[in-house]
Amino acid sequence: MLTAIREVQIPLLAAMLLGACLAKAWRALRPHAHPARSDPAGLFLAHLRRPIMILVFAVELGLGLGLFGTAVKFGRSWPALPATVVRTGTALFFLVAVRVLNEMRQRRPDSGCGCFGELSGTPIGLRTIARPGLLCASAVATLGLPPLRMPSSPTEAELWLAVLAFELALIAFLSPELGEIMVRLGYSEPCELRRMPVGRTMSALHASSPWRRYAGQVSAGMPSDVWREGCWRFVVYPGYARGRPVDIVFAVYLQSRRPAVRAAVLDADTDEVLGPTGTRESAVL
Amino acid sequence: MRHLADIPRWCDDVTDSASPTRFARRSLLRAAVLGRRDESDFSLIITDNSDADGADRSLKYTVTGRILDVSPHILVLHTGRGEQRFPIAASAEAWRGGPVSPAALRQGDRAIVRRRHPGGPVLDRIWAEIGRVTGTIIERDGPASLLVDEGPAKGRRIVLIGPEATGRIQVRFPRLEPGYLIDVIGLKHDGYLQALIPATSQPPYRAGHPPAAPMVSGHVPDPVSGTAVWHEPGEEPVNLLGLAYPALDPETSCEHAASMPPVCPGDQNTVEEWAVDPHATGSGCVRLPYLSVGSLIRLRNDCAEQTRVVPVTSCGATARLFCDRCVTCGTSRKGRIADLTMAAFVELGGALEVGCFNATMMIGG
Repeated sequence: MLTAIREVQIPLLAAMLLGACLAKAWRALRPHAHPARSDPAGLFLAHLRRPIMILVFAVELGLGLGLFGTAVKFGRSWPALPATVVRTGTALFFLVAVRVLNEMRQRRPDSGCGCFGELSGTPIGLRTIARPGLLCASAVATLGLPPLRMPSSPTEAELWLAVLAFELALIAFLSPELGEIMVRLGYSEPCELRRMPVGRTMSALHASSPWRRYAGQVSAGMPSDVWREGCWRFVVYPGYARGRPVDIVFAVYLQSRRPAVRAAVLDADTDEVLGPTGTRESAVL
Repeated sequence: MRHLADIPRWCDDVTDSASPTRFARRSLLRAAVLGRRDESDFSLIITDNSDADGADRSLKYTVTGRILDVSPHILVLHTGRGEQRFPIAASAEAWRGGPVSPAALRQGDRAIVRRRHPGGPVLDRIWAEIGRVTGTIIERDGPASLLVDEGPAKGRRIVLIGPEATGRIQVRFPRLEPGYLIDVIGLKHDGYLQALIPATSQPPYRAGHPPAAPMVSGHVPDPVSGTAVWHEPGEEPVNLLGLAYPALDPETSCEHAASMPPVCPGDQNTVEEWAVDPHATGSGCVRLPYLSVGSLIRLRNDCAEQTRVVPVTSCGATARLFCDRCVTCGTSRKGRIADLTMAAFVELGGALEVGCFNATMMIGG
């Protein structure tokens, strides 16, 4: 049983490290991601933060891949020394993480740990510090472990799964990110707060029936004004109707699929809403 | 026609003097297309704001100008309409670095005054040479001189804290260090502000790390409550009735136009290290719907129980950095929802030296 417990640690540690890498990369690659609101790099001078974050990312990636790469035999050979180095490195990494998180908790109590990017915004507590402690112990348990092998019997496989489930539950208990993930999975940002590129608004407008109805009156290739208020984006085109200059106003509801589009035509000089063509047209596409 | 090669063409350049007419028509066009027309003539409000004289007409209580002469009973101001004489109420209060008698004001002072009754001649409040600096401390020179970054839209200001105000300010702003926020009111001088009054309490976090707002389900609540503050006019007309809104549409507004000075790698001792781009720090601690310059907001001063429809006239992203409360009358909800022009703040019954009032805001009037 003890061997089963030790064997489970390697894929678990590798998955945790690579998951942390992915979360950090996701935050870095998002165009409007918030800057490091919460990560250990915040303890350092501003010009050192980016290099330190890159270093942490590289170490996590290297250790995660290294744990996988040295876990099993390739042919007849098994890289015992690299495996020991990677596992010792993993243990040291989590040991340093415990120290750093403890320091952050004292110096910046409002900050999250940043371990899993934006998901780790909850202020650091004892549970957050206990997690790398647990992972450090897991890494120590893997030292000297022979190459992993498939379970030799159903009983051994069940033991594997039971140990894995218990440890995952323990890590979930120590992870404030889990609550954040649950909230985000069920969360849809209100349309008033949702960023929506102008290009998508224009595409939706040009595919709408109000646009087709008034396109013949539009006299310019580009709108004269575009602005947003809450859930609506407004687009104004100059045009001609009944022989006089008009402003054709379109309102596009800001949702991704089948947005409502409305239109109105106003006299450009008097701002009078014009007769039959100027009455508000509405269409849900 | 359908390709968008030049999206920034529509960006709301808040300092573009040619744009007021375009912004002014937005409420009218919006009402035409959505069919929501309030009984108030909103377009008139904004059109009136587009020039100095028009802005004067949109103000019922507030007058701005330079003091030509003052006596205990009469104040003579040079305003946008020329020389104007105002009787001063016997109970009138004046401020020039602190409460003073009206006769203590000086010729040449820039003043903002409030009438006792809308449109009436009698004045009951006078502020002279009042200024405010709100932003991130990016440099400290000795114990009393600070360089403050007010955000990409407003630039940088020098703040001097005299020995008479040091204790009062440090009680509320214990960390007068680069990277922390400051918000002080004082006397304007050429090139600097002499800080005299703390306008809020210093947030405990660094400027770039405001707490995130709670997630909102469904729609953003309307009305929204919070804190309304004021800012100095900068490039705006001094008598402008308007507000800097903290959540302008990032796709067409100042977020595109704003650019922070570049930071040179390895240049760790420059002030740029501490400058914070408020557009990059998230929504702040109150979630507000995205609006644009020209949008109309019905703002209520909960303390004075006065309400006005005020147009959005500029970008107030720096307000997102402050997750504070106003305690002028009770305790407001967290977060700044409006950064008013001085004229609008006074028009709504606010006291400039207090710095804020508890406010309730309805979008669209």
